[in-house]
Amino acid sequence: MITMRGLIVRIAGLFNRRSAESEMEQEFQSHLQMQIEDNLRAGMPAEEARRVALLKSGGIAAAREAHREQRGLPFMDTLLQDLRYGARVLRKSPGFTFVAVLTLALGIGANTAIFSVVNAVLLAKLPVHEPNRLVQLWETEVSPGRFPFAGPDYLDWKSQNHTLESAALYRYPSPANSSHNGQSQPVLVQRAESSYFSVLGVNAELGRTFAKGDDQPSKRHIAVLSYQYWEESFAGRDDALNSNLDLDNEKYMVVGVMPPWFRFPAEVQVFVPLDMTLHGIGERGNHSYKAIGRLKPGVNPETAEADMKTIAAGLEKQFPGTNDHVSAVVVPLREEILGNARQRLLLLLAAVGAVLLLACANVANLLLAKASGRQKEMSLRTVLGASRLRVVRQLLTESLMLSIGGGVIGLAGGFWLVKLIESSKQLPIPRYNPVRIDTPVLLFTFGLSVLVGVIFGLAPIFQTARLDLSEELKSTSQTVMNGSRLTRLLRDCLVVLELGVSLALLIVAGLLLRSFVQLQRTDIGVDAHNVSVGFIMLPDVHYPDLQARKLFCNRLVQELSAIPGVQSVALSTEIPIEGAWNGTINVPGDANPAHRRQLVEFNFITPDYFRTLGIRYKQGRVFNQQDMEHGAEVTLKIDELVKKNPKLETVPPELSYVAVINEFMARMFWPDQDALGKIFRWGGTNMQIIGVVGDVKQTGIRGEKIPQAYFPLTLNEDTPRFGASMIVKAAGAQANVFAAIRSKLQDIDNTLAVYSPRTMETVIAGDIQDATLETWLFGSLAGIALILAVVGLYSVLAYLVSQRTREIGIRMALGAQQGNILNLVMRHAVVLICVGIFTGLAGALLAARAMTDMLFGVKAHDPLTFGTVISLLSVVALAACLIPVRRAMRVDPMVALRYE
Amino acid sequence: MGDKTGDKADVWQGTLALMILKTLESMGPQHGYGIARRIEQTSGDQLSVNYGTLYPALLKLEQDGYITAEWGVSENNRRARFYRLTRTGRNQLKRETKEWEQATAILARFLAPKESV
Repeated sequence: MITMRGLIVRIAGLFNRRSAESEMEQEFQSHLQMQIEDNLRAGMPAEEARRVALLKSGGIAAAREAHREQRGLPFMDTLLQDLRYGARVLRKSPGFTFVAVLTLALGIGANTAIFSVVNAVLLAKLPVHEPNRLVQLWETEVSPGRFPFAGPDYLDWKSQNHTLESAALYRYPSPANSSHNGQSQPVLVQRAESSYFSVLGVNAELGRTFAKGDDQPSKRHIAVLSYQYWEESFAGRDDALNSNLDLDNEKYMVVGVMPPWFRFPAEVQVFVPLDMTLHGIGERGNHSYKAIGRLKPGVNPETAEADMKTIAAGLEKQFPGTNDHVSAVVVPLREEILGNARQRLLLLLAAVGAVLLLACANVANLLLAKASGRQKEMSLRTVLGASRLRVVRQLLTESLMLSIGGGVIGLAGGFWLVKLIESSKQLPIPRYNPVRIDTPVLLFTFGLSVLVGVIFGLAPIFQTARLDLSEELKSTSQTVMNGSRLTRLLRDCLVVLELGVSLALLIVAGLLLRSFVQLQRTDIGVDAHNVSVGFIMLPDVHYPDLQARKLFCNRLVQELSAIPGVQSVALSTEIPIEGAWNGTINVPGDANPAHRRQLVEFNFITPDYFRTLGIRYKQGRVFNQQDMEHGAEVTLKIDELVKKNPKLETVPPELSYVAVINEFMARMFWPDQDALGKIFRWGGTNMQIIGVVGDVKQTGIRGEKIPQAYFPLTLNEDTPRFGASMIVKAAGAQANVFAAIRSKLQDIDNTLAVYSPRTMETVIAGDIQDATLETWLFGSLAGIALILAVVGLYSVLAYLVSQRTREIGIRMALGAQQGNILNLVMRHAVVLICVGIFTGLAGALLAARAMTDMLFGVKAHDPLTFGTVISLLSVVALAACLIPVRRAMRVDPMVALRYE
Repeated sequence: MGDKTGDKADVWQGTLALMILKTLESMGPQHGYGIARRIEQTSGDQLSVNYGTLYPALLKLEQDGYITAEWGVSENNRRARFYRLTRTGRNQLKRETKEWEQATAILARFLAPKESV
C-alpha cells in the first residue's frame, strides 16, 4: 500500500534522479565494504572475502532496479522517459513537427468550431422546461402547407382539445416606436397570450413574467424585457423594474427581465401581453398568429395532431365560409426550430471531418516515410531487450504528442472561431442555445486529438510489428529505404483516400458554387440599384383612422421626394423578397378548383411603387392619385356597411376597387384572354384589373413564380397598427440617404423611428446569405482538402522516386530511354489518381444526394460540375507529379550506382 | 527477488519492515549493513537479507516517514548511511507489533490441538 506521503515523495523522486542514483551507489558500496571487512576479520583471504561478500549481497543489478522502482513511480517514469525521448525526436526534425502539428491544428480547430455549433443546435436541449413536450401548432388552408392561426380558431382548439396541458397564442414579432429620452428608437415587440412563459416553463431573471389575466384589457400595459434589451436601453439597472416604457405612444410598465439565455425568439426585445378579448383577437378567416402548446405527459405529437384535426373538422362544418379546408398540423417545437439546419450542419460536420481525415492521412504518410528510416532503430531497441509493447508505446507517445499539440493549438483557434460565430448575427443557424466551448466540446476535442493520434500513429506501428530483427539489422541502409511492400501499399491507399475525399469535397463545393451563381443570376424582376428601404409603424394613438394615416402617407411621400437626389418614392405594405401576405381570390365564372386553392401574393402600394423599384410595365396602366383617393372612399363606405352589418359577406358591386396584377397571374387565371378590365373578387369585394406588370420574386429568390396582385395602399389604411415600408430610389449611391429620411420623418412626427433601414441590395444579399456562406465554407474546405491531397500525392511519388533511384540508374545504364523512365513513374501516379477519382465519385454521389435541398437551379448529379472537378483534380494531381518525374528522368546512372 | 544462499530462507516481505523498525528501536541509529546482520543474527542465521530486499524496504520506510537517514561514520571509520526511527515510526512499530501479536495469537488458536467444547 502506498501512503499519501509516500506518493508525494515518489513523485518528487522522479525529478532528483541523479543525486539519488549516486547516493544509492555509495550506500551499496559501503555495504559491500563492510561485508568484506567482516569476512577478512573472520579469517578469509582477500580474494575469498570479496567473492563471498558479492555472493551474499545478491544480484547488484536487480537490487539497483528494485531500488529505482521503489524510488519513483515506474509507470510515470517510463512515460516521462517516452515523452523526453519523443520530444528529442520531434525536435530533431522541426520541419516535420511544424507541418504535422499545424495540419492537425487546422483539422482539429475546424472540427471544434463546427462541433460546438452542432452541440448547441442539435445536441443540447432547448433551454426550457421539458422541451420534448412542447409543440408548435399550425393551421392549414386551401393550399397545402403550414399556415398561421386565426384567433377564434385557436380559442376553440384550446377549449375543446384533450391532449394539451396548456397553450399560448402569439403574434409574429413586429416593430414599434419607443420614445426614450426624447429620442425615438425602433424596438421589436412580440405580443403574446399571458400563458406564453408558463407554457415554455421559463421564469424571469428579474421581476416576473406574465401572470394569468395579464392579457385582459385593464392589465395589458406591462412589458417583459429581453436581457440584451435591458442592458442596452436600461444599462442593466435594477430600477428598470416598475419604470415606464413608451411603445407607440402608449405607456407600459416594465415588470420583468428575461434571463440572458432566453432566446425564444432570439431577436425579440420586448414582450407585451396580447389583447385576448374577442374583439381584439380578430375574425375567423384572418390568419395572423402563431401558437405553441405543451402536451399532457405521455401524449405524443401525432395523437395531439389527430385531436386537433377532429376539432378543425368540426369548425369546418360550423363555419363553412371561413374555415373551408382549414385543418391542423402539430410539430414538435424542436423540429420546428431546427428546420433544415440539421442536414446542413451534419453535412458541414462531415466535410470538416473529411478534412481532418486528410490531415491524418498526410501526417500518417509523413510518419511512414520517417518510420522507414527508423526501422533499424526500432530493431536495435528490440534486440537490446525492449519489449515490442514498449516500442509501440514509444511510437504512440510520439504521435500523441503531435496530435495533442495540434489539439491545443486547434482549440485556441476553435475558441476564436466560436467567438466569431457567436457574435455574428447573420449566420443562418437556429440560436436557442449560445454557441460556446463547454465541457462536451472540450471532451470532443480532447477525444478527437487522442483518436487522431492513435489513428495515424498506428500506421508506422503496423509496419514495425512485422519486423524481422536479424534481417533488418543485417540490411544496408539502401535496402531499408526500399521499405516493405506493405508500407508502400499502405501509403498508396492513403493517397487514394486523400484524392477521393478531396474529389468528393470539391464536387460538393462545386455544386454549391453553381447554385450560388444561379441564385445571383436569377432575375428578381426589380432594379435594386440605389434603392433603400425602411419600415415605419404608425401608433394608433396618433393615427387612429384612415383619414389620419392617409394624410401622413401623402405628406411623407411628398417630403421624401423633396430630398435632393431622390428620384422616386413609394410606400408599400410588402417589399420584394420579403413578402408574405397572401390569400386566395375568386374569379367569377372560373370553376377550376386549382384556381380556388391558388395562393396570390398581395401588396398595397402608392402609385410610384413600380417606377421606384424598376418593375416592368406590361399592359394597361398603373395606379394614379385618383385611384388612391377612390380606394380611400370605397374603404370608408365598406367599413360603414360592415359596422351596420357585421355578418356582411358580399359587398355591392358598385363599391369596387382597381388592381394591378403580374403577368404570371394574368396568364394563369385568364390563359386565352386579355386580363385587362377583368374582375376578380377578394374578400367579397370586386377588383377590376387596370394593368399588368412584370413578375417579381416576392417571396425570395428561391421562391416559385406566384400570382401577384397590387392594390392601392389606401385599402389597407383602415387597419389598426398600420405600418409601411418606405422605398426610396436615389440618382446615385448615397451614403447618407437614411440620415435625410430620418430628418424628414422627424419634421413630420418626431416619435417615429425607422425600423431595419437597408438598401434593397442588402435585402437581396440577405436572402442568399446562407448560400453565400455555404459556398464560402465548403469552398475553403475543398481547397484545403485539395492542397492536402496534392501534397500527399507529391510526397508519395517523391519518395517512390528516391527509393528507386538505384533501380532507375541500373535501367538507364542498361539502355532504358527517358520515355521508359517516365512511363515507370507515371504509371504508378496515374493508377493512384484514377483509383482515387473513382473512390471519390462514389462519395460525391452520396453527398450530392444528401444536399439536394441546398441546391438551386442545379441537379445533384450536374455533369458540368462533375466533369470540371474531375479534370481539375486530374490536372492538379498530374502537376504534382512533375517534380518527382523530372527528378527520376535526370537520374545520373553513374551517381546512382556509386551510391551503394 | 534476491537469490537464495544455501538453505537460508528469504525474508517474508511484509515482515521485513517490522523487523527493521524493531531493530532500530532496540539498537538505535544503524546503517543498512548493520541492520541486515542484526536481523540475520536475531533469526539465528535462519534468514538471509540481501541488497535487493533490504534497500527498497528501507527506502519505502523512509518515504513513509517512519525512519530518517543521514550520512555518518561507522565504528570502523567507514562512511555509511545511518537510519533512525522517527516518532511516527515508533507509533507505527507499536501498532504493527500489536497487530502481529493478535494475528499470531489467532493463528495459534487455530493450529493448537483441538479441545472439546
